[in-house]
Amino acid sequence: MEAKEVIDELKTILVTRLKFDPRRAAEVAATTPLPKGVEGSIGLDSLDFIELSIAIEETFGVVMDESEDLTAHFASFDTLSRFIVGRRGRA
Amino acid sequence: MVDRKTVVVTGVGVVNAAVVGASPALGAWLAQPRAAARVAVGHGRPAARLPEATLAALIDPNEARRLSRVCQLTIAAARLAVAESGVDPGRGLGLVVGSELGDFTSTIAFADGFLARGAAGLSALLFPNTVMNTMAATTAIAVAARELSLTLNVPTVAGELAVARGAAAVAGGRVDAVLAGGVDELDPLVAEMLDALGDDAVRGEGATFLVLESEGAARARGATVLGRIDGAAWRSLPARPWGVGRRATSRAVDEARARAGGGAPGWIYASATGDAERDAWEARVLAAALGAVPPVASLGGLLGQHGGLGALRVAAAAWTARSGLLPAAAGGAHARVSGPGLVHGLARGGGHVALMVSAP
Amino acid sequence: MRRVVVTGLGAVSPFGSGVKAYWAGLAAGTCAIRPLTVIDAGGFRCRIAAEVPEVSSGSPRRSRADRLALGAAVEALDDAGLSAADRAEAALVTGAVGGGMLEAEAWYWARARGERPPGWAAALRAILPGSHAEALGHRLRLGGPRHTVVTACSSGAVALAEAADLVADGVVDVAVAGGVDAMTRMCFMGFNALKLLDPEPCRPFDRDRRGMSIGEGAAFVVVEAAERARARGARVHAELAGHGMTTDAFHVTAPEPEGEGMARAMRAALAAARVSPSAVGYVNAHGTATPQNDRIEARAIARVFGEGGPLVSSTKSMIGHTMAAAGALEAVATILALTQELIPPTATLVTPDSEVTFDCVPRVAREAAVECAISNSFGFGGQNVTLLFRRI
Repeated sequence: MEAKEVIDELKTILVTRLKFDPRRAAEVAATTPLPKGVEGSIGLDSLDFIELSIAIEETFGVVMDESEDLTAHFASFDTLSRFIVGRRGRA
Repeated sequence: MVDRKTVVVTGVGVVNAAVVGASPALGAWLAQPRAAARVAVGHGRPAARLPEATLAALIDPNEARRLSRVCQLTIAAARLAVAESGVDPGRGLGLVVGSELGDFTSTIAFADGFLARGAAGLSALLFPNTVMNTMAATTAIAVAARELSLTLNVPTVAGELAVARGAAAVAGGRVDAVLAGGVDELDPLVAEMLDALGDDAVRGEGATFLVLESEGAARARGATVLGRIDGAAWRSLPARPWGVGRRATSRAVDEARARAGGGAPGWIYASATGDAERDAWEARVLAAALGAVPPVASLGGLLGQHGGLGALRVAAAAWTARSGLLPAAAGGAHARVSGPGLVHGLARGGGHVALMVSAP
Repeated sequence: MRRVVVTGLGAVSPFGSGVKAYWAGLAAGTCAIRPLTVIDAGGFRCRIAAEVPEVSSGSPRRSRADRLALGAAVEALDDAGLSAADRAEAALVTGAVGGGMLEAEAWYWARARGERPPGWAAALRAILPGSHAEALGHRLRLGGPRHTVVTACSSGAVALAEAADLVADGVVDVAVAGGVDAMTRMCFMGFNALKLLDPEPCRPFDRDRRGMSIGEGAAFVVVEAAERARARGARVHAELAGHGMTTDAFHVTAPEPEGEGMARAMRAALAAARVSPSAVGYVNAHGTATPQNDRIEARAIARVFGEGGPLVSSTKSMIGHTMAAAGALEAVATILALTQELIPPTATLVTPDSEVTFDCVPRVAREAAVECAISNSFGFGGQNVTLLFRRI
């Protein structure tokens, strides 16, 4: 799976699981910051990230262990898609 | 007995299918009460459901993304009340939320996610809504209420009970200001369930919240006082769970009156809902408590039973105390009334609440 | 405001029926967290919980939660020796969250499989948290004011605080208060989904803690005006001398990182009881063993009591997090710690977290006679309650 396909799936997850408006989800760029508190971000908080993790496990089969600190990977769709592609390659 | 402070109402927020706004909007509706339009909800009887556009207009979309519908109703009404009262939550604000059904919609959706897709179908975002304090938790964040916060669950009288409990907190000097009220949402499965349980009440949905303060605190900050809650009490009457009892003598009315100085109410807002057995029981209880029963209004048939209705009745009572007008049951001319009034609620299962309300 | 004392205790816990079984388990430092049997935990990372071993009270037609509540309430009333006349006047405050959800789930799951399960109206009738109060009030003929509080994990403690207010304010002379929760799929699945559960028995305050364990149970107490209890020669367990209730208003699941709301609740309880921090010898912590709660609670305790102040333990190490019952079961544990002069341990503690500056009573109960003890309950959504008990 290519990073671009992953990003498209992530945008779908924004709508179906995180309840974003479809138009707003479509506007999210690869480098748009995800976490709340970062300027220009889409404002995801800790609960959003848990929801996102559950969806990523279901959609991509990538299992994440709570003991790992994956914060850096969740900075944007760009970092996240590369993380997911990398993990799938490993499996 | 503890030295009690006088409790006043300084703000009202109403969001339901017929009225949206603060006390002027409620007053305009009370002056010309019109039934909320009823629509089909699931397989149950038609009910008074809020149009989606109404609620969308009240909550910012970014905020709404993370709020279930019943939480949006609560926050919308709470904010209207806080804005009208002008109270500063930073000086200490309590919160009491009454609800009959809580967030059933989210609970069912959470279960459905699992049943459809197993563990991967579980929603972390939905889970907090499966506990009935979700409306209070989200509203406390939205209005910055950091003192005591309570969610009270009881059939029929959730709104009245929340206001009575909030008034007790203010009267007892435990907190200077409390946002108290009730909320319920119409859910199709719940409508079916209530039908199956033989609950004949006309159903509606919405939220009503009041800001209650000690009179001293309100006057000190120059707030407009909309009405006074001179006495409030809650008790119970013997009944099977969800049943209608036989006994008609209860102390709630006597206690509320005693706290208010003993006078008889000149008018009443009662909790009639169209559930014939329960309504008849309430009529007997009122007769036993008061002897000659003064004019009674309900509003249940117009707005549909929901947790916010009892709180709305307290706000309506404040309007009646100021205006001297009581809406007629069958849409006729208002009755002219005077003096303090009684807001009375009686539930299947025996929950019983009484509040004496007078003009500022 | 009148002084409020506790004259009756009742508990149904993962150690079994009755206060005696409950205290025996706590005193021995036994961990009651075991593989689940009440619900199917297949497919989940965590498959353990602290279940009540044999639910025997009440009719099998009642919901499991109603039966747990009845067992505990009946014991408390018997312990207090309340007459029928007392009961007719007694207030009832119940803390609840799940209600009869277990039975409603069974019905809903069956429906999803295409079956036509019977008895659904009764199951749904009992689903609401307020239904326990109706069942108890009716069955036990408790005729005073009645209300149900739903404040997530602090519900049981809030119920006791509410009852204390009713007595202190002179609304009633006697009140029955407590909390109950039975195991449910919703609760278990939800905490699994939030990744808040430890696959092994929880380890509060441990450096290597990984999350909560879920439990079930019920506890009820009888509270009374002190003068009246004395006049009728009642045996008094302890005084409920004060309480504090605050709200974080921060986030729906995460606690506020500075623990400001927690500290305010503890300080409010001290102020209400007119007690200085140094008089508190024991803190029964909320202590859920999530990395966040324990760190923030430890900080808040240190702020209020100073470093190395009272003994602190989490009985959730033994009975798990019993949800709406927790505040009530833990209040009973706190009262017994006072009367038995024995502090229940944090049974599963191996290596205390370095951020914890106090003695967490690791593994073995500690003999100690203390004058005052507090119980903390910090619910989801930042609903913070502290109850303060004083020796009589």
